[in-house]
Amino acid sequence: MTAESATLRMMRSPLPGLVALALLWGLAAPAMKVNPRYLPPLGLVLADARSVWPDLLAGLWRTGEETLLGFLFAGVIGVGCGVGFAYARFLERGVFPLFVVLQNVPVIAFGAIVVIWFGNGLAAKAVIAFYLALFPIAVNTLRGLQEADPERAALLRSFGASPAQIFFKLKLPSALPSLMVGLKVGVSLALAGAIVGEWFGDTVGLGVMLLQALYVEEIARVWALILVCGGLGAALYGALALAERRLVWWRRA
Amino acid sequence: MTFSSTRRWVLAAAALAIGGIATAAAEAADAVSIRLKWVPQAQFAGVYVAKAKGFYSAAGLDAKINPGGPNINVETLVAAGADTFGVASGTEGTLYAREKGLPLVCIGMSQQMTPFAFVTYDNSGVKSVKDFKGKKVAVWFTGPQYTLYSMLAHEGVSQKDVEIIAEPFSMQPFIDKQYDVATVTLYNELNTLKEQGINNIRLFLPDDSGVTTQQDSLVTSEKMIHEKPQEVQAFLDATLKGWKYAFQHKAEAVDIVMAAGSGLNRKHQELMLDEIEKLMTAKLGGSQGLGAIDMKSIADVQATLLKFKALKTPVDLNAAFDASFWKKVPDADKKL
Amino acid sequence: MTSSADAVQRAPPRAAPAYPGAHLQLVNVWKRFDGAPALRNVDLSIAPGEFVTLIGPSGCGKSTLFNIIAGLAAPDEDGSILLSGRVQQNYGLLGKVAFMPQRDLLFPWRSVIDNATLPLEVEGAPRKLARQKAQALFPEFGLEGFERHYPHQLSGGMRQRVALMRTFLFERDLLLLDEPFGALDALTRSMMQRWLLDVWARHRRTVLFITHDIDEAIFLGDRVVVMTARPGTIKREERIDLPRPRAASLATSPEFVEIKRRLLAVIEEESLKAFAGTAAP
Repeated sequence: MTAESATLRMMRSPLPGLVALALLWGLAAPAMKVNPRYLPPLGLVLADARSVWPDLLAGLWRTGEETLLGFLFAGVIGVGCGVGFAYARFLERGVFPLFVVLQNVPVIAFGAIVVIWFGNGLAAKAVIAFYLALFPIAVNTLRGLQEADPERAALLRSFGASPAQIFFKLKLPSALPSLMVGLKVGVSLALAGAIVGEWFGDTVGLGVMLLQALYVEEIARVWALILVCGGLGAALYGALALAERRLVWWRRA
Repeated sequence: MTFSSTRRWVLAAAALAIGGIATAAAEAADAVSIRLKWVPQAQFAGVYVAKAKGFYSAAGLDAKINPGGPNINVETLVAAGADTFGVASGTEGTLYAREKGLPLVCIGMSQQMTPFAFVTYDNSGVKSVKDFKGKKVAVWFTGPQYTLYSMLAHEGVSQKDVEIIAEPFSMQPFIDKQYDVATVTLYNELNTLKEQGINNIRLFLPDDSGVTTQQDSLVTSEKMIHEKPQEVQAFLDATLKGWKYAFQHKAEAVDIVMAAGSGLNRKHQELMLDEIEKLMTAKLGGSQGLGAIDMKSIADVQATLLKFKALKTPVDLNAAFDASFWKKVPDADKKL
Repeated sequence: MTSSADAVQRAPPRAAPAYPGAHLQLVNVWKRFDGAPALRNVDLSIAPGEFVTLIGPSGCGKSTLFNIIAGLAAPDEDGSILLSGRVQQNYGLLGKVAFMPQRDLLFPWRSVIDNATLPLEVEGAPRKLARQKAQALFPEFGLEGFERHYPHQLSGGMRQRVALMRTFLFERDLLLLDEPFGALDALTRSMMQRWLLDVWARHRRTVLFITHDIDEAIFLGDRVVVMTARPGTIKREERIDLPRPRAASLATSPEFVEIKRRLLAVIEEESLKAFAGTAAP
């Protein structure tokens, strides 16, 4: 409630940490003579990134698209599954184990199937992003819904509330903190899925560039891509964290 | 997470889907797809050149090039009909696919000599393949291991006497001397080493041990051969023509590859094209023309694989490797 | 001690006291869990507008009784519950009794006023009307100016008043309060008690107030009902004829002390029984 000082706000933002890391990379790594094959100087990485920035931008856009598309579908269907599991015990007992099994199947093993089913376009990558993001979202939704206070539910029932009213007035808000955790995990996995999905054959995308850079062992490029992927991941995560602060603000109090 | 943004995404997805259907319909006539075994690079220059220079469309093909990646098995996709043609792994890959019963047919071979080689440092004490005995030899277990096995067999070295380990994606462990011998491709990893300024190395070529395995096979399905042989012929003609053009106009070919890929390093692609040219014009590639199928080397590879039980049963080579199309390719398209 | 417990258990079931105009009447209510009774032969009548306090040792089945009266749990088939003379089916009391549990159970994501209007919202009342109704109660509940605050910004006493306001806004004639002041400090609690009596005097609803604090039971109630140790039943009812309005000083008056002495003896006995029951199973 009280106004925080600017310094305090600064301390809590990720900015100082990033600056410290950049300084460490830019100054300490060369000073300690770290083999550039392991960690190329920051300047070199940035210069490399600059030299291909239109490609990086196109890749960022494409990978971002795949991630968001997969993530959004995973969000809708994952929350739906979580709600289904929470309300239908037979689903939880019958389908949930299947979920766990599927989760443990490495998507990488399915190259041909993914391509045959979903083609070579955006959809195939979005499907992999979706596949990876679905599980944590569904599980955290279920967990969140189960966290709803039974006494508060009883109170609502005593007011004559219908199951739907209990869901929207109590269970969903109670599930939000856990749900947001699921979404944050999900978006990171969706990004990983999109990047790996591009290894199923494509011409644009951060994953393609990463593959190419690894293939010809352009270490500076690999690090540039790590930075860009990290930036994209951080931006997506940050957007959700921001949404979380607005949606589940009461948790911080 | 607002509804309006969700709706926008759903709309975008729908638009994409509709767009995809519309293009598919427009291209329905003679649309074919060519699956590569890796992402765009000079290794596939001929295919990209044939597309960019209009060789495919002139031959009546509306060709779409689908890049590959580490998770893509070209043989499976082409045999399943998901892709019409492919630049697949090579001799062994075709044999394994046929052994599994996949209706896959090789109609041409890009690389005429084994593109894999084994490197060691000058001072490692390994002076011949026979010296692999007791040494740590790193090989990719994605196919080249059989080249190594064949090579060892030809040199009379028992596989058990060699410490064979899996080689990772990177040359760094070799640079750090974590093993004595590493596998490279002549068109990529060798260049990587040279770019690192590592020149104190000795190279062992499988061909020097009498092991030739042609790689980068041009493949299609049995169904295509039976139903649309003219398309198969058109594809092979145009692809080889593309290669010939690429070798005659290297700078332009690299331009085309650079445009097809994303963030490629020009110098690297130039080096790669040079090496690919050597591999493709070696042996039969020079004497008979680009894309020639060396049935003798294939029979040798099969015999070795059978001997080492990497292949359980022999494959009908005449069904798996069909040189009839290649023979019909005009000399003007395949001979440099 | 044992003999007196036996005496209680052997006592023949009393006939339901005739309270023709009773607001709430429990007749021979039982509740068994896996055959073991938690409630045994509970008979209780509450007149309209009466303030009844119920006291008993911990674990006597108070919360079981509470859940049954709130309609959240079904009693065994032996007995019946009547509301204004009408027999209630299992869970039939849901939505008919305004209950307030021990914890305030405020929804942290709702502002004070939105917490208060929750029951009206569930009933489908227009938002504006619900807010108007709630707004009118804010001064009386000492919450004026806190409408837009959130629960975490309030003190324990204030939170409890919000919860009570929410219970009031669920406009039912029977209020069921389960140790609403149990978690408050002594000073706040005594203030809240006088304030509750004030509110009750103005609104005159029927109240069943469950507590484990004997002073609170006597100070608030028209009648104190004492429950036995588990399995719980009604052991004693004591009419409290202390004059109203009641001031804080009442607690030290000889009449108050005398009532307390009498009730304490009964409760002590039950508490010891409950203690022995847990110590030697």
